[in-house]
Amino acid sequence: MFTYIVSLAILIGINAILAVTLNFILGYAGIFSLAHAIFFGIGAYTAAVAAMKFGADFTVATAAGMVLSGVISLALALPALRVRGEYFVAASLGLQMLALTVFSEWKSVTGGIGGLIGIPPARLFGFDVSDPVLFLALTLACLAIILLAIRALVRSSFGRSLKAIRDDETAASALGKNVALLKTLAVVVSSSFAAVAGSLYAFYLSFINVESFVLEVSVQIIAMVIIGGTATLLGPVIGAVIVLLLPALLTYIPYLPPTEIGSIQQMIYGLAMVLLMIFRPSGLWGYGSDSRARGEP
Amino acid sequence: MTGEILFQAEHISKTFGGLKAVDDVSFALRAGIVTTLVGPNGAGKTTLFNAMTGHLVPDQGAVTFLGQSILGLPHWRVARLGVGRTFQDLKLFSHMTVEENVTTATEAGSWLWQTGGRAAQAERTERIARALDATQLQRRRNARAIDLSYAERKFLSIARIMASGARLWLLDEPASGLDRGSYDRFVSLLRNEVKSGVTICIIEHNLDIVQSISDRIAFLDQGKLLAEGEPKQILSDPALAAIYFGERAS
Repeated sequence: MFTYIVSLAILIGINAILAVTLNFILGYAGIFSLAHAIFFGIGAYTAAVAAMKFGADFTVATAAGMVLSGVISLALALPALRVRGEYFVAASLGLQMLALTVFSEWKSVTGGIGGLIGIPPARLFGFDVSDPVLFLALTLACLAIILLAIRALVRSSFGRSLKAIRDDETAASALGKNVALLKTLAVVVSSSFAAVAGSLYAFYLSFINVESFVLEVSVQIIAMVIIGGTATLLGPVIGAVIVLLLPALLTYIPYLPPTEIGSIQQMIYGLAMVLLMIFRPSGLWGYGSDSRARGEP
Repeated sequence: MTGEILFQAEHISKTFGGLKAVDDVSFALRAGIVTTLVGPNGAGKTTLFNAMTGHLVPDQGAVTFLGQSILGLPHWRVARLGVGRTFQDLKLFSHMTVEENVTTATEAGSWLWQTGGRAAQAERTERIARALDATQLQRRRNARAIDLSYAERKFLSIARIMASGARLWLLDEPASGLDRGSYDRFVSLLRNEVKSGVTICIIEHNLDIVQSISDRIAFLDQGKLLAEGEPKQILSDPALAAIYFGERAS
């Protein structure tokens, strides 16, 4: 039971990183991306390949994933963000489809549909982080660092400019903000941090394949952000906890056939989203106090 | 310096489909005065504003600010040169606080920190405080823009442009919908800013406001500049009055 709880906590931590990083562009900059799972995947594959082929430790493998993810996001953001938001949504969906095909077809690097098996345990400062409790500590440390970094960014002039762009691009531009550049940088930062989640995921499971990075995962990350509360620091973490705990809780409900849990889970997500949009459009954490609505924790 | 030409538009034209919104307009804005663009709906006032700020690229003509061509520059670059504007629909950053709205206007760069060190920071802080004081928004500094009253929102749009340090203010119907008290405060605020060296160009429909605030008036109709001059001269012209009130001179 303890191992199960630790395992669940690690997955919650990894998903919380994904939600927090997506919220950076969705909540603070108003950029709606359907490709967040791809940057998660790029981080995972890069870290796995770096560890398996080059013996890279956790920091080097993660840094490599962050750089590659940032560069690829730049290729998406540079052309797509020069126009209005809906084009970015379409472009991100295109990237999601394209990258998924690359993940499943580039067999020599990604292992194809079968994925990569036998990823070595994460090594950090010369020590193996194979113990689940230690890995949980590593995951929470990464989450904390990313939360602090995003908090600093949001409170800086960069963050204020992003919020201004989110609220009104034309007015932001009329105040001298280079909207396309700022949005591009926001996407690069978000994608790079999402790669950290991918690296943790690859090292923790020691196996990755394309199924972990499909469109449904991108949609699930969006659900975490919306349920928890956009433009709040802790809302997406709460969203990740709820979305990840729900299937676990459903297994404890008696008389519920295990084969139906997936469908019931989807219905609950759908219903929760509809109810939230009606009664708490700012999400569970993003509603109720001015400070939260302003994007403070 | 009063009288210096700050902004100049020469032979500006802009067509949307078959509609000539601005038709060969030339005019200049002189430093340290209030110039008002008047004319009936559809006269081309806002299109001219958009062409002046880079929000629209004119089909032909030249636009200069402080002697430098700004034609074809993106509007964020025009803004950084010192041309600020407000919008008819205000375009506030609704979910940001009053203070954040004003603070972001003072930040020329958008990185983690601003250049210039403590002296520049102190100067920005002073500009923020001055803008909030002048618009009487100091006590509402922590309120979100979306939670302000209509008059407060109008003043916030002015506080933002004031804090930006823009030398030329282009204000699109800034006094519409203001109650008498707010209107008086608004006029006095603009007069103070003009005294301190700001140049203002306003689009306005209300002729009482036009009369009380303008040093010069430019009259547009159907995309053409029909007349330009002192308020008394323009407002007493019966032909222009007939056009303004919907009659056409035969």
